[in-house]
Amino acid sequence: MNEAITKEDAPKASVSVFRKRLRKFRSLKRGYYSFIILVTAYILSFFLPLLMNNKALVVSYDGELYYPIATYYKGEFFGQFNDFSTNGRTETNYRLLKARFEAEDEGNWVFMPPLVPFGPSETPQVAKEKILIDAYKAGNFDVDSKDKKPEKSAEEIAKEEEKAYSGGDEDEDDGGFKYDPNKFKDDKDKNKSGDKKSGDDDEDDDGYKGDDEDDDDGYKDEDEDDEDDMGEDGEDDNYQYNPDTFDDQKEKALAKEKEEGKNKSDRDKLIAAAFPLPPSDVHPFGTDNTGRDLACRLAYGFNVSLTFALILLIVAYTIGITIGSVLGYYGGYVDLFGQRVIEIWQTVPFLYTVMILGAALQLNNDPSKPAYFQPSFILLISILASFSWMGMTYFVRGEFLREKSKDYVSAAISIGTKDHIIIFKHILPNSLTPVVTFAPFAIVGNISSLVALDYLGFGLPVPTPSWGELMKQALGDLKSWWLVSAPIAALFVTLLLVVFIGEAVREAFDPKVFSRLR
Amino acid sequence: MWSYFARRFLLAIPTLLFSTLIVFLVVQKAPGGPVEAAIMASQMGGGQGEAGGGAVDMANNGVSQASIDAIKKYYDLDKPIHVRFYRWGKKILRLDFGVSSNFGKPVWDMLKGRFKISISLGLLGFFLSYMICIPLGIFKAIKHNGYFDFGSSVLVFAGYSIPGWAFGMLALMYFASPDYGYEWFPLNGIQSSPDVFKELSTWGKLMDYAHHAILPVGAYMLGSFARLTILTKNSLMENLGQDYVRTAFAKGLPERRVIVVHAMRNSLIPLATGLGHIFSLVLAGSYLIESVFQIEGMGMLGFKAIINKDINIVMGILVISTALSLFGNIVQDVLYCIFDPRIRFK
Repeated sequence: MNEAITKEDAPKASVSVFRKRLRKFRSLKRGYYSFIILVTAYILSFFLPLLMNNKALVVSYDGELYYPIATYYKGEFFGQFNDFSTNGRTETNYRLLKARFEAEDEGNWVFMPPLVPFGPSETPQVAKEKILIDAYKAGNFDVDSKDKKPEKSAEEIAKEEEKAYSGGDEDEDDGGFKYDPNKFKDDKDKNKSGDKKSGDDDEDDDGYKGDDEDDDDGYKDEDEDDEDDMGEDGEDDNYQYNPDTFDDQKEKALAKEKEEGKNKSDRDKLIAAAFPLPPSDVHPFGTDNTGRDLACRLAYGFNVSLTFALILLIVAYTIGITIGSVLGYYGGYVDLFGQRVIEIWQTVPFLYTVMILGAALQLNNDPSKPAYFQPSFILLISILASFSWMGMTYFVRGEFLREKSKDYVSAAISIGTKDHIIIFKHILPNSLTPVVTFAPFAIVGNISSLVALDYLGFGLPVPTPSWGELMKQALGDLKSWWLVSAPIAALFVTLLLVVFIGEAVREAFDPKVFSRLR
Repeated sequence: MWSYFARRFLLAIPTLLFSTLIVFLVVQKAPGGPVEAAIMASQMGGGQGEAGGGAVDMANNGVSQASIDAIKKYYDLDKPIHVRFYRWGKKILRLDFGVSSNFGKPVWDMLKGRFKISISLGLLGFFLSYMICIPLGIFKAIKHNGYFDFGSSVLVFAGYSIPGWAFGMLALMYFASPDYGYEWFPLNGIQSSPDVFKELSTWGKLMDYAHHAILPVGAYMLGSFARLTILTKNSLMENLGQDYVRTAFAKGLPERRVIVVHAMRNSLIPLATGLGHIFSLVLAGSYLIESVFQIEGMGMLGFKAIINKDINIVMGILVISTALSLFGNIVQDVLYCIFDPRIRFK
């Protein structure tokens, strides 16, 4: 290797070539800092559930600490009954809980993930939440009372939620529940459907504009831009804390905001706008076309993309290196035959074949697993790897052809070392230069492939956060500039960092020394 | 040399045979084709389901054995796979790709029409990028480590870091979307609607095409921009360090002549050979770009065919791209011989 030996490269004690190259890499600032930034971001992205999530990290409730990030708590556990649909029988909405605790000021607190309080696959109903939060601020906690009408029968929820859930009672209990914080303690202990109160089902003709009566199981609903039935119990004036019905309360709040103007329009925007929502205080990057927080999707997508690219790199390179080294080491007919096979394999159109397989082998997501343990994730990597390992074989084969004529190989052969040990322990470490220098560019290719496949709809299955899927949404909605720009920008920045790294790695490991005459 | 190419062509035949076999197997064995779906739906009752298939309509169990056989016979599925491949291959050799199940037209006729659109875009992009990248690469090499080199490197890095089709989408938003940005270019298609297009003069037609083609061609160009520029630069840099350049300088030739006449000619060899892959390159990126710009080209046809499970079109496109890339390999070698007489193939 004709390393350009600079002053700092000329050490007193002998330093391995690899060390020298690392030192060179570190001296190339642009690539080195890109490397640090990218690695930091990637490591951080594994802690995304702690940074961007709809689950609180810590909840202090009645003097005890809970960790919802690790455990599932129903809304009723914390005394939260208005989650727009199930009367606290689904998971707690911690954003609302936090707002209520803050408004109540009773020493309870919620520590939400610091960056974004939304989950990657969550469709937050920000508009509805805002009404509730406003109500909390106005001191009206009844909106979160246990008295809400469950929108679904208990059986439905039981089916969806937990099998252990016994069918609840549909009977019309007293509508006259009083807001009593102490009672929640009991509820929390029971934490059962047993004492579920299903309130007045039939009185939901509250006049809030934008209200839609038949909004049903709102929470995971894709297309709910319709307002929910927050104030359903409006007509029943059994609330004790405020004599006003909630409807009146709401109208008052609305009127108040009308004066303030800005908030009102803000909220109206939230309510009226169909998704995707533009960037706002709530969603600094806006939302995608089903209302999921874009920043969150992008960040989780970063993790998925890079993980995908790295695993694919490892798999494809393992295949390519193994085959390339066998061809190069044995040569002769093995080489000839192998070359033919590779040529055949290479003439198969890569992208189109992968598209066909991707379309044919769509597997469903297994929601219990994280993105990269999904069967479809593994399948897609196998498909892509089986059609992209060929490139590396040429380089490794070439390196092996050169290395195997060297003395240390002859020495190893002469003392009877086994072939696989010569290949993998003796020659391979000396033939890794092309592997290392091409790896960053292969990552660029892998990320691009994943994004392209996701964009075409043949990639990872639907709920997986993915840049390509966002771009697919964006193409159908070109006026949503944030939806178009954000994934492309994320892709661009990531690839740029990788390219900078790749350039520096190439410079350090395989420097081109140009002697320019004149 | 000619015996080498004769052998190359002869070798290409088994290669084509095997790669079409792979293609054939992929399409036939991948679950979810229309026939497979129909047959599977009926077979589910018999407990013989070919696992892994896409959505199978369980309600459709009532397909009688007779109709399954009819379907199978119609699609030749009652024969073992090698017989099917043989029959299919015989048809392919006569350029009979069958009939599209969605459009009811012969696949070959459909492909011919679409091919023109894709190839015109692809060729434009290809030649324009050569016309930009080669001079740029040469300048970068001459001004190596100068301001121009660094400045254009930014472009090169940026160009490498954004896929052409993604850039096309961005351009579409800024320069074609009526809702956002400027409406300078049409939002989709490669020509105005047929009624309008018919009325135009030849010049008008040309301008109409150019107007539609600017953004997609730009996207095509971006795809190869970085690679070509760097390739040109590095190959020229390499040549500038060679002995014959030293000799030329020693003779007292002016620098301009040394670079343009001596070094550049040699440094363009690797680029010229890239021309061999022109046809397969044209197809490679078109799925994405044509889908972004809604151009009804070959890529779009192939994309939709996958979604609609139009197997004959899928197979046709696969065979054509396979043959083209194989052909491209040979052409590349021929070009090597033409442009670089030092290379002797044996």
